[in-house]
Amino acid sequence: MSIYRGNSLRVDLTHRRIGRANTPENGIGGRTWNSVTLFEELKPGTDPLGPDNVLCIAVGPLTGSALIATCRFIASARSPLTGFLGDSGARGFFAPELRWAGHDQIVLTGASERWVYLWIYDDSVEIRDAAHLVGMDITETTVRLRAELHDPDLQVAAIGPAGENLVRYAIISCNLARAAGRTGMGAVMGSKKLKAVAVRGSKPVRPADPERFRQACAQLQANIEGHQEFEPRRRYGTTRIMDSLARMGVLPAYHYRSTVFDNLDKVNAEALRRDHVVKSKSCYNCNIFCSRYNYTQYSEGEGPEYEAQAAFTVKCGNSDLELAVGVSNAVNRLGLDCISTGEVIAWLMECRHEGVISDADVGGVDLRWGSREALLRLPELIARREGIGGLLAEGTKRAAEHFGPAARRLTAEVKGLELFSADPRGIKGYGLMNAVNSRGGDHYRGEPMIELTGNEALALRRVGYREAAHRLEDRGKGALVNYAEHLGLLSDSITICKNISCCMDAVDFDLAAAAYSGLIGREVSAHQLYEVCSHVSQVERQFNLREGLRPEDDTLPARFLGQPIPDGPAKGTTIDIQKLVDDYYREKGWKS
Amino acid sequence: MIDCNIKICVGCRMCEVICSLFHAGGVSPALSRIRVVKLEEIGLDMAVACLSCAEKSCLDCPNEALSIGAQSAIVLDDRLCDACHVCVDACPIGAVGFHEGRPLICDLCGGAVRCVEVCPTRALSYRDEYRGISLSPFRQSQGNPGMRRACYVQVRGEPLRESWKRGARVDS
Repeated sequence: MSIYRGNSLRVDLTHRRIGRANTPENGIGGRTWNSVTLFEELKPGTDPLGPDNVLCIAVGPLTGSALIATCRFIASARSPLTGFLGDSGARGFFAPELRWAGHDQIVLTGASERWVYLWIYDDSVEIRDAAHLVGMDITETTVRLRAELHDPDLQVAAIGPAGENLVRYAIISCNLARAAGRTGMGAVMGSKKLKAVAVRGSKPVRPADPERFRQACAQLQANIEGHQEFEPRRRYGTTRIMDSLARMGVLPAYHYRSTVFDNLDKVNAEALRRDHVVKSKSCYNCNIFCSRYNYTQYSEGEGPEYEAQAAFTVKCGNSDLELAVGVSNAVNRLGLDCISTGEVIAWLMECRHEGVISDADVGGVDLRWGSREALLRLPELIARREGIGGLLAEGTKRAAEHFGPAARRLTAEVKGLELFSADPRGIKGYGLMNAVNSRGGDHYRGEPMIELTGNEALALRRVGYREAAHRLEDRGKGALVNYAEHLGLLSDSITICKNISCCMDAVDFDLAAAAYSGLIGREVSAHQLYEVCSHVSQVERQFNLREGLRPEDDTLPARFLGQPIPDGPAKGTTIDIQKLVDDYYREKGWKS
Repeated sequence: MIDCNIKICVGCRMCEVICSLFHAGGVSPALSRIRVVKLEEIGLDMAVACLSCAEKSCLDCPNEALSIGAQSAIVLDDRLCDACHVCVDACPIGAVGFHEGRPLICDLCGGAVRCVEVCPTRALSYRDEYRGISLSPFRQSQGNPGMRRACYVQVRGEPLRESWKRGARVDS
């Protein structure tokens, strides 16, 4: 029996038709619905940037409720970057608004001939002309729509120039700087000539069993406020990761060439807070409010999170934090994924350092480590596909084919998706997660954070192996990553912030079951939720196999294999990725 | 009255969540009597609710459905209200909402103000102001309540933005 079926809004952009349906039967919200919809409705081999790709935007039954930080929407489609299942979530305030409008999922099919935006006010849904918004960045688009619709409270999910120009790692962004960043969902939206979705809703989310639901909410709040990282997360958000990774010896300095960055104290969380942060910012209904607003002499905006901060400083060998903050603001406005963009720039800099390419190969842009010109100009060129930007907009995997095998050996991507800002060799659970998860080189599918805690009791309780609490141990990592994936998928269905549910281990299947039961007024068991997540993760695997995924694709970039970490606290550490992948396959019941 | 310290409000909307939950049994800002304004392009967040202001122009209700109650809160007599919208249009800072035929005005929860209790930054505070501050500088604000709230917050935020420009940072 279905646990919860929501309202699915079907928008055919080719024929400008709007219809209504139910969300798929086997799902519990968010990503579970999107993955099932795409598996059922997409033909294998569909052009990711053609009209036959389907873009799903989903929230869940718990989105916009009183449960803390149920603030995310999940955008899913076949990825133009990987060719496999793409999906990405954005926090902020768009998702709850969509829920209050009474829609749980939007399924966008076909492609419009002219640029349009989708306007939703409760049950009213219109496809409207967006010619006047073309070329605008994400901030301009959002501000313009709020002004012309006389509604400062309007929630807008938009693409910037990068999405319009089909950059393969373009984002969909709401609240100016909260991005569905990974796997190029903004390019899919651009291929449909859909510039934005604007939504307002007025329907309340009412729990069917208020007392039970209240207890689940209170439990989550207690889990968060009692967590040892509660105060530091409030103060620094994700930016505190930089110092942690430096201590562990897995900082990706100079594009993974070193784990030591001499000017760390100029670019770390403390420096950012001291010099550029003017206030804290929150996503919907969050008691941590870990985001921050920056203000510099050149620009201002929300962020950066750790990934943007690290990508534009240590990874590119740049010690000028103000420059990095400005790049982060610009990349958000242009609608580019900060992780992939940072990877492209840092990889080019390493290629130049190695003599594989020269500045002349990229239109004369100075590619020395930390180059101000590269950091300022390349995102603009990429987003507008001007000059060398046209090639770089294809992502590092495709661009490397142009520059040849020596450049190819320096890339850091899995299945075409660029890696996060950490060295996977010294955090083996994360390394395995990057190798095997459905969207490619990515850490946020689920966070195997237990390996960073040293908490053996927790590891034993969650995954059955004490060793899983230690990042350099191999044993138990298959089980750990499998659990982290399940918890990640559950989080992508509750639509709760994964920094809370996964990184702080503040949500488990029991708590989720209590929340679902309280909201819908029927008994939902932890086992049922786990089974749905297991089923959908197999559906996601089937989707990728159908698109040609092979077991040998489940690996790490060649540069990390057989080579030890060269320096720093984890010097000499290697990763046996095949052993880890085999362990994970056993957990999943898959054949190598 | 409920006042919000714009310097420390992070815009989480927990006040709206608890307000709509307490008064209407479900979560939706459209049912909340306190509303969070987020001027994202200039980094301002601030919750706006009835300030029990000096002018109290909402009391110009043609049906006399509104009156001053305990703690100077504005009280609606549901039987007299005919949904004419006069009070909604009268408030210069857009602090009177409207949902399903009835105005929504902060009633201070009858004493135990829920939004102040849950505010995670303690940006919200309750003050018993019998006379109330004057909102006459905002009488010329144009547009719907949402636009008037935005205008109010933009003005209230000017000193904060000036301080950022002069170099003030979150810990200074």
